[in-house]
Amino acid sequence: MTNTRDNDAWLNDLQAGGAQRDAALLDLHALLLRALPQGLSRLLSPENPEFESLIEDTAQETLLRTLAGLETFEGRSQFTTWVYKISVRVALNELRRRRWRDVSLEGLEGDEANDGAPRQFASSDPLPESVIERAEILQRVQQILAEELTERQRAAMRAIHMQGVPMEEVARRMGTNRNALYKLMHDARLRLKHRLEREGLNPTDLLETFAQE
Amino acid sequence: MPTNNKIMKSIFDWFRRRFKKWYQPDPMMQKLLQSLAMTEEHEISCDDVYAVLDQFAEAVMRGENVLLFMPLVRQHLDMCPDCRAEYEALLDMLQPSFYVGA
Repeated sequence: MTNTRDNDAWLNDLQAGGAQRDAALLDLHALLLRALPQGLSRLLSPENPEFESLIEDTAQETLLRTLAGLETFEGRSQFTTWVYKISVRVALNELRRRRWRDVSLEGLEGDEANDGAPRQFASSDPLPESVIERAEILQRVQQILAEELTERQRAAMRAIHMQGVPMEEVARRMGTNRNALYKLMHDARLRLKHRLEREGLNPTDLLETFAQE
Repeated sequence: MPTNNKIMKSIFDWFRRRFKKWYQPDPMMQKLLQSLAMTEEHEISCDDVYAVLDQFAEAVMRGENVLLFMPLVRQHLDMCPDCRAEYEALLDMLQPSFYVGA
């Protein structure tokens, strides 16, 4: 199967209707069946019994979305690359849904048990000066985190950064979408960064400080 | 005594490791500090990245310097695991044996 159409030919055939459109859809379907296994094999083993059905279902859904969104194609890439992009979104969303559907993410409702509570140190310990300073910095940072982040923001950060939960899934559980969640997290990161910098705590410097022996 | 020095050194090392562990940020904070260090004043959204992901991936495939003309996309891909996974899967689909659109 080779791609013998340029972008205009794809658009022309898919918008034509009838046998012309059916032939183009068949060709696009064949291209997807070839390329999708390569794109998804790192995310789901081809040996997995669900692999083939995922490929087929993704191809079908992609064709539907392609037809529905033809007018949004701006020609800034090859048409097939644009279609592949749609298929990747379809497939990964499905994989994320399957992988996380049965996993409880109670933390999103705000589990503060192990989240940023300042640690207590035995002040009588004969600690080296640098270690004491480090502990004080850590305590200040933890205090700032507690003051600047809401429970939901901390829960979302924990799920994404610590549990490896996809943003898409966290957003779904929070009743929002991934785009909005990213903006929410960006606002939270910026607010934290500004506050730390106002207090003379640059995140890069902090990482270097804590990395020192 | 070399042997005594070794023992003393191992004791000091043990204490150092213990203190280091106690006075290190927990993994959550470590990750957060890393993401704060990479945070930019202006970042584009997942939708913005999706809109140009096909164009971006093709530029990468052609070996173009995407940091130069699409730095915000690159920065977002470094920050957003979902978009990064989609980008990597798309790149895999565009590998030469499958890239029939070029």
